[in-house]
Amino acid sequence: MAERLEIKARGVVKGCAKGEALVADATLSFWGEVDAVTGKVIAVGHPLEGMSLKDRVLVIRSTKGSSGTPMILNLAKLEGNAPAAFVNVEVDSLAALGCIVNHIPMITDLARNPFETIATGDIVEVDADRGVLYVTREELQKD
Amino acid sequence: MNLTAEQQATLDGSKGAFLATCMRWLVEWGDVMGAKRLIKADNTHALLPVPNLMARGSSREVIEKYMAPLREACRHKTDPDCYCTVHTSFVTLDDLPDVPENDPESVQMQKDLADMAVDAGFIPTHTCTPYLVGNIPLKGEICAWTESSAVVYANSILGARTTRHGTESAIAASLLGVVPEFGVLLDENRKGTLRVEVTAKMDSPTDWGALGYFTGKLAGLGIPVFNGARRPSQDEAKQLCAALASSGGVTMCHIAGVTPEAPTLEAAFHGDVPEEAVTFDDRVRDETYASLRNHTADDIDTVILGCPHASLREIVQIAALLKGQQVAKGVRLWINAARGTAGNVEAMGYTKIINAAGGRILSDTCPTNIRIPAKRIVTTGFKQAHYARGMLGAEVIVAKTGPCIRAAVAGRWLGDG
Repeated sequence: MAERLEIKARGVVKGCAKGEALVADATLSFWGEVDAVTGKVIAVGHPLEGMSLKDRVLVIRSTKGSSGTPMILNLAKLEGNAPAAFVNVEVDSLAALGCIVNHIPMITDLARNPFETIATGDIVEVDADRGVLYVTREELQKD
Repeated sequence: MNLTAEQQATLDGSKGAFLATCMRWLVEWGDVMGAKRLIKADNTHALLPVPNLMARGSSREVIEKYMAPLREACRHKTDPDCYCTVHTSFVTLDDLPDVPENDPESVQMQKDLADMAVDAGFIPTHTCTPYLVGNIPLKGEICAWTESSAVVYANSILGARTTRHGTESAIAASLLGVVPEFGVLLDENRKGTLRVEVTAKMDSPTDWGALGYFTGKLAGLGIPVFNGARRPSQDEAKQLCAALASSGGVTMCHIAGVTPEAPTLEAAFHGDVPEEAVTFDDRVRDETYASLRNHTADDIDTVILGCPHASLREIVQIAALLKGQQVAKGVRLWINAARGTAGNVEAMGYTKIINAAGGRILSDTCPTNIRIPAKRIVTTGFKQAHYARGMLGAEVIVAKTGPCIRAAVAGRWLGDG
């Protein structure tokens, strides 16, 4: 039976979005590690290699790497391949800028460890205006 | 964030819709990152690239939509008190008839945009190493730089101050002459967060790239402090900074006893030196090289030097190694350098030596940005190696300059020795 878990957080870039979670306790550069045209992670050996970011709630530690991250996020958005929302443990100024420019909600400072409470495939509703997110899964992981 | 009356008026549209948008980007970004005010930007390095149509596969419609705000920005003027330069593109403005990926349509679009940028007041450096040629900020200078490796260099080696900027924030800072004050623009955020004891023998710029690549993974968005390291050369510092911002999201680092804000280890940590440290020794250095090498055979087709863009000294050294030699048939040897540097070495006679050996100096961009087809690459740059694996789908071998040149001449990877 589906359960719905509420996790308090801090909204960084305002807005609300819902999507399937894509989760990795890892960092990611959009320039050089994401192909905007396919929407897929191309970094060799990355835990998300080959995965599409399109419409996903991207749960990662933070962005890193290139200052081209906002640019590639912009191109991905124009291609219809951008993530629906960012859930990040740390806020990199480049992800924040990319989310502001492209109107993508971003949230951080979760009351629970996102890598223990959110799994790839869960449905996540991000409400960055109220600083909360909801995780829905058929069978939620117990603590 | 507290805005002055003039800043608020700009936000409300007193200078037109586009500058209002620019102000909104800076204000929202500042609010999100904890800034309390906007401060004067002395210096910017802006990213104004045309996404390469052919190599990237974007539709004309997407490209035009992406280009619209860049073109609009270039119809304005840069702040007259701000030193504004331009980052690399995805194409070189030179004609490369033998490289179809540098497609003429994209080149023409980039030339048109570059001309508009010049009219707007941007200086067309078209390089990832503005600090080598064209834009060398002083200690304390407030910058708004794109290019992650240059951000680390400006903060760490030069003592200038810049957060990690993207396309929109650097454009906005260039036109409005202000940046939100957050992160490493403030003294308290320039404190070290990770202690790295360097005991490895450091023989070359690529060894310093290994140090950066190893450390960036551990540092994340933090500020590593290197202890026990000798003073790096400029070329070594360049590799260190580039690698830190490839494996990690580092904005700055300190080298105790060397860099401007780290006269001592204590100073680098603002008096709060952690006991805990990671060690970079010979074994870790060698493992770091090995971690990025994924070649399954020894025949190579591409050698990339000058990532980040080569210094004069690097090109002089390469020319000396290449003199009287011939790059193997079927191998591309590309040396990336800023147009300013390329002009210098041409005038000095080094380009002739490199061209005679079958090598090429590439300006405005790099082979990974152009997305040349490559099967197996040898490169001195940890950054180039890191990104080329995914962007070009190539196998990579990262190595010092000497072994790279030997491989170029032999057409095969002959090992480090």
